Amino acid sequence: MLKGAQIVLRCLRAEGVDLVFGYPGGAIMPLYDALEDSGVRHVLTRHEQGAVFAAEGYARSTGKVGVAIATSGPGATNLVTGIADAKMDSVPLVCITGQVRTPLIGTDAFQETDVFGLTLSLTKWSRLVRTGEEIPEVIAQAFYWARSGRPGPVMIDIPVDLLKASTEFSGPTEFQPHLKPAAVATDSTFCDTAIALLQQAKKPVALVGAGVKLSGAVADLRRVLDHLQVPTFATVHGLGAVSPERPYYLGMVGMHGTRAANLALNETDLLLVFGARLDDRVTGEPTRFAPHARIVHFEIDPGQLDRVRPCELSVIGDLAHTIPTFYEALTRVSLTDWSAWRAIASGPDRAEPDSRGLAQPTIRFIDELFHQLPADSTLVVDVGQHQMWAAQRYRSSSARSFITSGGLGAMGFALPAAIGVQLANPDKTVVSISGDGGFQMNIQELATVKRLGLPIKMVVVDNKYLGMVRQWQELFYQRNYAETDMSDNPNFVAIAYAYGINGQRLRADSVSGFEIPAETSEQIEKFLASPHPELLVFECPPEANVYPMVAPGAALSEMLFEEE
Amino acid sequence: MHVFQIRYRNTQGTLMRILTAASRRGIDLPYVQAEPLEHTHKVTLLLEVNPKQVGQLCRDWHAVVDVIDVRAGRQLKEAFDHGAAWKVARHPVTSVPVQASRQASA
Repeated sequence: MLKGAQIVLRCLRAEGVDLVFGYPGGAIMPLYDALEDSGVRHVLTRHEQGAVFAAEGYARSTGKVGVAIATSGPGATNLVTGIADAKMDSVPLVCITGQVRTPLIGTDAFQETDVFGLTLSLTKWSRLVRTGEEIPEVIAQAFYWARSGRPGPVMIDIPVDLLKASTEFSGPTEFQPHLKPAAVATDSTFCDTAIALLQQAKKPVALVGAGVKLSGAVADLRRVLDHLQVPTFATVHGLGAVSPERPYYLGMVGMHGTRAANLALNETDLLLVFGARLDDRVTGEPTRFAPHARIVHFEIDPGQLDRVRPCELSVIGDLAHTIPTFYEALTRVSLTDWSAWRAIASGPDRAEPDSRGLAQPTIRFIDELFHQLPADSTLVVDVGQHQMWAAQRYRSSSARSFITSGGLGAMGFALPAAIGVQLANPDKTVVSISGDGGFQMNIQELATVKRLGLPIKMVVVDNKYLGMVRQWQELFYQRNYAETDMSDNPNFVAIAYAYGINGQRLRADSVSGFEIPAETSEQIEKFLASPHPELLVFECPPEANVYPMVAPGAALSEMLFEEE
Repeated sequence: MHVFQIRYRNTQGTLMRILTAASRRGIDLPYVQAEPLEHTHKVTLLLEVNPKQVGQLCRDWHAVVDVIDVRAGRQLKEAFDHGAAWKVARHPVTSVPVQASRQASA
């Protein structure tokens, strides 16, 4: 006989879990009581949102399932943003919440919320546990669904009385799913159609999304692309899947994508999509997306197909199977020479113009930071202007080294996510980059960083505005800077000091002509070399904008550039 | 109007996930009938949707873990007739005084 809480922990160990993130409270106390000697290490964050983002960071950097634990009521509701984030970005995540005692469910008891109902549309699968006996099966199912197919978040809500009660336990179970009728591409018949479309195409391109990384198909995709040599671009989550050194690689596509990538997408007559959702940040105005193209979409989740418009060919299945199959077929046929199209797509007239405006110092700072990063570093980037500058300047071919909240765009993501990344990669350099707005959304996690002694390098790009919102206000709301001013930001260095973390500040405007300070390189070097957590605040011009930019409702070809 | 028939395993939340796929798109649910079907369950929905929404809904439903099968078709007369019958049925009072409630249940 074991208590329900002990059974939960035994089952977590059986799923390979040795690290969880969480925050205790009344309804989950039995689980915390059983943690000691369970073999599961618990990391106490300072807010449940910090816990779920840290679990996401752990999962995103390892491909393993992240686990977040919270109590009922407010603890559970504080997980919701992270659950939504995990759904949007296909992150395998198991959230375990305590619930009020079984007899009290539905009575609006203290700290009772219907977290099962709240998260129905955000989770792949969820369960309110009703008996102690079903705990092993529930946990086995939860991990199965979190990992399987398109990964995502699942939710287990356990009443506190079941965590306390002793139950017969014969060991963890293995979940055997009921298999749906196969709708996946299990053979190579799709290849004939795909190749026929390729052979008819005069301007084919490839778009690479996160699905390639999630499926572990990066190497296979690179073989395909090297064979095809067609102009290729990536979504923000696809960055790193294609080596930026490849001559056919045009960079990031979408709202803040490169001129070359967006123009090629606008002109192509055949779009090969590998593991991307094609959301509006990638497509621009959906009705004007790739207007001349037929689409071949490789995707594991049928729910993502035909969202923008019908595909010519949908290849449903795990990219780890469909891409190698496609490659094998490609090697058996002779393909058109698209070198002339490639030369047009990557021609000098489509190169990015050098920034001439207020963004210069930040871009130079980011370039210098990236230049000095060790090759195996991981960047964890928050949401806003700095996110897009970082994505534009990112030049790594490491698949899991650029981590950000792309689909949900959840400010406050970077710092707690970096905690999860650093714990999963203790020997690697982990750099978080936040804006001044996002940093303050989970600033309390500095305490977690300090307690664990994690050598995270935290950069705050401080423009004293909610920069991206301000940019939209400038461009689309007649410069009505409503509630985006943050000129009274606190002294971040002093806050870091209060948490016991060393901090330093760089001011871009300390030198005229938008130059970055001369000591920048040296300061970054010291910052990265430190064995301790460090904060570096880069104070940049407040009214810098991210360009190129595709205005909402515009086609990708209608990019805005900085006025010279 | 389109008729959708979705076969599913009646696990916690599956029917709600099926319904929220429609409601999250602002689609009204004028007719819903869920019932056992052999060892599984079936829900029939009558929805006012455009062809693009038909595709999106079917793909969303297929992605729900315990959905087994999704079928979509043009409006079936018998389903509509059944729906019309439900329309005229009286809804229970949502809030009544305690005394009235006790009398009703006595």
